[in-house]
Amino acid sequence: MKNHAKIKEVVFWALFFVIFGLIPLLEKSDYHLILANHILIWGMFAMAFNMLFGVTGMLSFGQALYYGLGAYSVGLMVKNFGDIWFLPAIGLGLLSATLVSILIGLLVIRVSGVYFTVLTLAFGQLVWQITFKWYHFTGGDDGIQSIIPPGILANHTVYYFFTLLLVAVSIWVLRRLVNSPMGLVLRCIRQNPDRVRFLGRRVRRNQLRIYVISSFFAALAGGLMAGVDNSIHPDMFYWTTSGEVILMAVIGGIGQFFGPFIGAALIIIIQDVVGARTEYWSLIIGLIMMVMVLILPKGLVGEVQLLRGRFRPDAKNRGENGTTFSA
Amino acid sequence: MDPSFIIMQFLSGLMMATLLFLVASGLTLIFGVGNVFNFAHGSFYMIGAYLAYQTVSAWHANFWISVLVAALGAGVLGMIAESVFLRRIYGRAEEGGFQILLTYSFILVIDDLVKLIWGAEYKSLARPTGFRGAIEIGGLTIPSYNLAIIGIGLVVVVMAWLILSRTRTGRIARAAALDREMLGSMGVNVPLTMTLVFGIATAMGGFAGALAAPLRSVVPGAGIEVIIDSLIVVVIGGMGNFWGAWLGALILGEVNSFAVATVPDWASLFNYLVMVLTLIFKPEGLFASRKIRKV
Amino acid sequence: MLKHKNLTLILLAFLVFVVWPFSVSAQEKIIKIGAMYPMTGRPGLYGLDSVDAAEMAIEEINSKGGVAGYKFEFTNTDSKAKPDYSVMVAKRYITQDKVHFLFGVVSSAVGLAVTEVSKQYKKIFIGTDHASTQLTTDKLQPYYFRVSNNTFQSMAAGALYLKELKQTKPWETIAYIGPDYAYGHDQWDELKYNLDRFGVKYKAVGEYWPKIFAPDYTAFITSIGNDKPDILVAGFWGGDTVAFIKQALPYGLLTKTLYFHPDAGGNYELMSAMGSDLPKGLVLSARHHNNWPDTELNREYVKKFFQKTGRYPTYAAEGAYAGIYAIAEAVKKVGNPDDTEALVKAFEGMKIKLPEDPDGFTSYIDPKSHQIVQDQAIGVTVPNDKFPPAKLMLGEWKVYKAEELLPPKEYIDKLQKK
Repeated sequence: MKNHAKIKEVVFWALFFVIFGLIPLLEKSDYHLILANHILIWGMFAMAFNMLFGVTGMLSFGQALYYGLGAYSVGLMVKNFGDIWFLPAIGLGLLSATLVSILIGLLVIRVSGVYFTVLTLAFGQLVWQITFKWYHFTGGDDGIQSIIPPGILANHTVYYFFTLLLVAVSIWVLRRLVNSPMGLVLRCIRQNPDRVRFLGRRVRRNQLRIYVISSFFAALAGGLMAGVDNSIHPDMFYWTTSGEVILMAVIGGIGQFFGPFIGAALIIIIQDVVGARTEYWSLIIGLIMMVMVLILPKGLVGEVQLLRGRFRPDAKNRGENGTTFSA
Repeated sequence: MDPSFIIMQFLSGLMMATLLFLVASGLTLIFGVGNVFNFAHGSFYMIGAYLAYQTVSAWHANFWISVLVAALGAGVLGMIAESVFLRRIYGRAEEGGFQILLTYSFILVIDDLVKLIWGAEYKSLARPTGFRGAIEIGGLTIPSYNLAIIGIGLVVVVMAWLILSRTRTGRIARAAALDREMLGSMGVNVPLTMTLVFGIATAMGGFAGALAAPLRSVVPGAGIEVIIDSLIVVVIGGMGNFWGAWLGALILGEVNSFAVATVPDWASLFNYLVMVLTLIFKPEGLFASRKIRKV
Repeated sequence: MLKHKNLTLILLAFLVFVVWPFSVSAQEKIIKIGAMYPMTGRPGLYGLDSVDAAEMAIEEINSKGGVAGYKFEFTNTDSKAKPDYSVMVAKRYITQDKVHFLFGVVSSAVGLAVTEVSKQYKKIFIGTDHASTQLTTDKLQPYYFRVSNNTFQSMAAGALYLKELKQTKPWETIAYIGPDYAYGHDQWDELKYNLDRFGVKYKAVGEYWPKIFAPDYTAFITSIGNDKPDILVAGFWGGDTVAFIKQALPYGLLTKTLYFHPDAGGNYELMSAMGSDLPKGLVLSARHHNNWPDTELNREYVKKFFQKTGRYPTYAAEGAYAGIYAIAEAVKKVGNPDDTEALVKAFEGMKIKLPEDPDGFTSYIDPKSHQIVQDQAIGVTVPNDKFPPAKLMLGEWKVYKAEELLPPKEYIDKLQKK
């Protein structure tokens, strides 16, 4: 078993670097580079989100808060102090996301289930409304434009590799985390928090930790995105952004570590292809969502594994492995 | 502030609260009884508004009949949505996430279907005859349609109380909220009950949409704007609690109304502020309908 | 256990998707327009009308053989009125689909995001229907041109109207209600600025900021009623105007106070939605009117649009129609749609006769601000059932000369400093 997991991991990384490393060389047009960049950033965002949802069982509907925080740290610093502050601003975004997530985290982890979901939504919407309203500081709904990364990073290809590197490191860190003893505790919390408590582990503290970690990477995604789009907007705080990341994770498969990344890629490509061809995109995306939820509930990656499990004589847990997180 | 102005603002708040309550009551009912978070509740509100518009403008029906048609139509659609789609995901692991996604997909599909059927133009519905003007009491001008809505809201509250506490249906609904398995073993058809409750809740949404149509513009996307506010109401009151929704709506309506009169610059922040403050001190809302499983 | 095989398949499929070249080969000589109008939700009507009108203009031009040997080709991608998505679409248009012009957009936030892309890639962006003054002042970049009025122009006309009103109906107090975002705030700032500039004395007794798309205005209405302003200036657009007027009517607010809505209030959508419920005597304007000016060109335009779509156009439509004709004019002058710098020169100072130009005036693009300069008319709602389902339309027009409405230099300087 362990060997196979190793192989799977090696294959993922090899493919990851080959595909995303080759895109800038194969493609002469900027657009696919940007599309791939979006996939990388959203993919990381979705994986970080899934640390909360898929691993620990905490459905946050407010991760957009940290995504926006990361983006606005960069936007405001670059706008007010110049583009040389781009990289320190990403750091500032990470720092503020950590602090804010500790504060809000202490409030929201007191409740669980749908209450947790709604509470995170409430905080996200509050920050969205403040950003929207505080026109003179944040630029209100107009957002902030002309966020150009400094020096050599202004080149799209260089910036692309910069994101690729950071995303790869982030995914690696998250991967280590899932396989660590803490990851095990988190997965146990998802299944039976009381038992974890009986075993002498602190449930709340671990929940807070993973909330902060997930928010940290959400802020990194936001900061990196500001450099790709060159403009930011309060929509980044809005509940639809949180909703999108949930959608990506579920479509890819929340029970799989790499599932959310595949989900992000799929959603971005679908949006692009469908959006370019019809004005009834919301009907089509809605129908796709419906089919996914009703027919393929384990997400794309989960269903594929399940399907193979059916044909495997030595399968231990046929049909069951979607409900536990397979790392 | 002079007293007559305070009364006027209070009535404005009451009016806003009533419409909020009518939408939110359906949302909280589904959650309380069925444990389903129906993100698409606003879309049933919108369908109600369009059905009322259709009945009045194309078939020249009386407005009050159109309200009933709207409630009935939204209710039937809700029952279809529940029995064809939602029923399939009950009891899944991570059901909460799937509920949100599935009902969110309803929003997307319904928005486009409405645009396909009625077009993107704004529709408008006139107030019903007899309720076009205003009543003057002691120098105050109060539109009679607004009074009618406040009255209807009170009737709904009283009727809901009677049904929930005095009838067999109400007892079944309350029992379903507590323990569905036990209810099933006592011979009640639980799936049918769930479908009916869902239908009643979406009918409430459609009813609210139809009543609001003469006051608002009927446009695609109108559902999104009411769902967030109703969600706030439900959360403040305690999810699944009928009286909580009523109180939550009242608080939100009045806070908004007096914020507009005193600090108009910041009025738009108050909804979220009230919600966050409530949740910091009472994370389960003012009236929690069930014990929250503390983790 | 061969888990990695499926993973490989998925990733490969994904690779194929990403690298899939779906560019069309172009044999004919074509002017490609990449539009980004929203087609869903609240601004959907504006997008729908714009796309129909642009297509109508293109049919007219293509049926006459095109310009300079080129035919128009028009694509629209639903921007969902989301800036980040629109940025993606704009970049796809430029680097993938190789469009010659970026076109459209309803929301100013999207406009500001797209003008940034246009600047980076040096690709001309024709703005047809977003009103933020910033785009042609402090956020102006060489490749942006706007063919519809901005809020400053509407508010300058509004201030002149209020100035004249003093002579016939003396007024003193004024209150404002508008959506709580840049568009709403800009209008109020610009109106106050212009009232001061024209030496009009006034006392502001209330400012109200409901959320955009707010369903309920009752509390605002009773509060405004308590302020008792002589003039109520409104800065809504779309369905919000309809909802506000419907809710204000029974309170008698609109008879005690003059309702004044000079930027988007006079849009046909309001008349068509409210029919006979619309009260008489509201003072409104918009960027185009179906019944003003009474010229051959305007009558033809409205008639053709009605024949094509079965409905009368909102002002958004005329902006898109004007945009296509402006592009045709520029390409005609330059001879091809590829020489961007020459096209920029051709747009600067371009004179173009549009449906909304009264006799004796021709719209032109101000070479400095890249903003179209047009006369503006403000009217009062009067019975008129020539454009059903509307029962009232605007009348009793007052027309303001284009030159008086442009922002003065010190105003632009002030914006740039901010």
